[in-house]
Amino acid sequence: MKLPRFVSSLLSSPVGRAVLALVGMLVLGAIFNADGAFFHWTTHRDMLRQLSVYGMLACGMTLVIITSGIDLSVSSVLAACAVGFSLMTIHMQMNPWVAIVAVLLGGTAVGAVSGVFVGRFKIQPFVVTLAAMVLLRGLAKHLSGGQKISTYIADADKTVTLPPIFERIDARVLGDNIAIVTLIFLFCVLVSAILLRHSRLGRYFYATGGNAEAARLSGVPVTRTLILAYALSGLFSAIAGVCQAAQEQQGDPETGMGYELQAIAIVVIGGTNLAGGRGGMGLTLVGALTIGYLQKILSINAVGEASRLMLTGAIIVCAVLLQRRK
Amino acid sequence: MKMHTRLNLFGLAMVALAGGCSKNESPAPDTKAAASASAPTTTGAKKHKGTPEDPYVVGMSQCNLGEPWRAQMNDDVRKAAEKHPNIKVIFKDAQNDSLVQRSQLEEFVNQGVDVILISPKEAAPLTEPVAKAFHGGIPVIVLDRALLKEEYTSFIGADNVKIGREAGKWVAETLGGKGNIVELKGLMTSVPGQDRHRGFLEGLDVKAHPGIKVVFEADMQWLEPNARKEMESALARQPKVDVVYAHNDPGAHGAYLAAKQVGREKQMKFVGIDALPQEGVQYVKDGILSVTFQYPTGGTEAVDMALKVLAGETVPKKVTLATKVFTHDNAATGGQAIP
Repeated sequence: MKLPRFVSSLLSSPVGRAVLALVGMLVLGAIFNADGAFFHWTTHRDMLRQLSVYGMLACGMTLVIITSGIDLSVSSVLAACAVGFSLMTIHMQMNPWVAIVAVLLGGTAVGAVSGVFVGRFKIQPFVVTLAAMVLLRGLAKHLSGGQKISTYIADADKTVTLPPIFERIDARVLGDNIAIVTLIFLFCVLVSAILLRHSRLGRYFYATGGNAEAARLSGVPVTRTLILAYALSGLFSAIAGVCQAAQEQQGDPETGMGYELQAIAIVVIGGTNLAGGRGGMGLTLVGALTIGYLQKILSINAVGEASRLMLTGAIIVCAVLLQRRK
Repeated sequence: MKMHTRLNLFGLAMVALAGGCSKNESPAPDTKAAASASAPTTTGAKKHKGTPEDPYVVGMSQCNLGEPWRAQMNDDVRKAAEKHPNIKVIFKDAQNDSLVQRSQLEEFVNQGVDVILISPKEAAPLTEPVAKAFHGGIPVIVLDRALLKEEYTSFIGADNVKIGREAGKWVAETLGGKGNIVELKGLMTSVPGQDRHRGFLEGLDVKAHPGIKVVFEADMQWLEPNARKEMESALARQPKVDVVYAHNDPGAHGAYLAAKQVGREKQMKFVGIDALPQEGVQYVKDGILSVTFQYPTGGTEAVDMALKVLAGETVPKKVTLATKVFTHDNAATGGQAIP
């Protein structure tokens, strides 16, 4: 069968295939348009806000996957940072900007340590970040004492007011049309896209992922590149943690469970190759939109949990098959 | 040749390891018992005297400490036990693993504790170990989730169907026979989720109130971020929502945050379940929820019962805990009991 010219040219590039999957998703949304909800602007606005936290994690994940690694610790870094941020701002009443800087530095440092183990000690990224995932979830629970860090303080049996920073991050701008967290997400995408495409470090990421030994021989500082990749992933996870805390108005040590898999799914659906060396941020953005729309469509149609899981699994498989097409 | 030697060595190492393991297994209880200050050096249950110098030892195995409700149960046990210097509680967290919990029971038996409290993860894998401990002479008090056989001292738990029914009745009364409801379900594969749903429909009694409709329902898996997402979808579809019934308080809180973002939070009432002091009750005090129904942990009751058992009194085989309702009027004074 001969496909129309523009379709086959679309199918010939990873970006084209990812966009095609997204368009397919939008068509599905238009068909299964419960009570006309899919055509409300607010639905899309909410969807953009809902995928933002996943998307931030996926930004870091993309960088790491391009170096042919993986970062399973993103969701635990998110939880630890959400708890740390809430403790500092709500319970200790610290200046929120100081708290944000502290949390972002903390997340970056944690990522950098993982990077040292991967780059310097040559331990498999899966193992290193698995350990970090467990360790940081423990840290989140330890810091919070297993309880949610909210305006209620258990020991003193009193309540405090929620610092305005929480509402401010969870607010919307531009005539109530776009959420701050969406802007933060788009900013993360932009920064990492520029980094990947227009910086020397970006070229190092691809070279390291393509063939680390060849990269080393041609003068790429592979160890430092890997440390930076994981550090950036930690940074993006920390940003996501602050956003998550702001949206929940509390620091929940259990928050974000399984988000690492969402982030990986976004990267994969976008078409970035898990083997490393190929892919990009534009793809991740399209992948994030695809996953975001999928979840939104299932949600507005009030699809049950069981069908939802099966459909999501099926669509991931389809997207990956589509990506394999030559 | 070299490869073979290596493989052989590896095999030998494995055999040594396996042998080592099985050898270590039988004396392990002794070592463990010896390590514990008050436990005997020989195996078998030694009875403690129940004085502040030699307090009764109560072993508490909690199926997981991830859920705040379970942390609260441990807290209730701890607070109740602190009032009695003649008992000491050892807490163990089974981390949501039935087999870990089984081994914790065995540890308690070997250690010779005087009473075991267990909030089991699952019925099937834990029924036998509990029965074994019970027949071995250690009283076992089962909390929250029932087992398959009644081979334990007593079961203390709350009735999710009843709590759901109370929530349903409250909603029907508050709406006065007409209104749109959004139901954010816990996890419908879990028994509490099913029971809280079934009870709610019973209490709501749609046949008697044809004007009441559940216009949107979704599974939020007990998680607040999910509840917020589902509520946003409900709001996108439904121009009029009067009551949001969530199967737990975090779910109701998430729904409130979603409604607040579109400025519709005042048009509807939020109903939650669990009523943890730092969570649901606080939300009611803050005016976020209209009402929450307590799902009691039974921690305090378990300690009281343990003391009775140790004093040789007979205790009922099953205790169903009553629920409490917390509204704006009574939240500050500790809620109102529902018989």
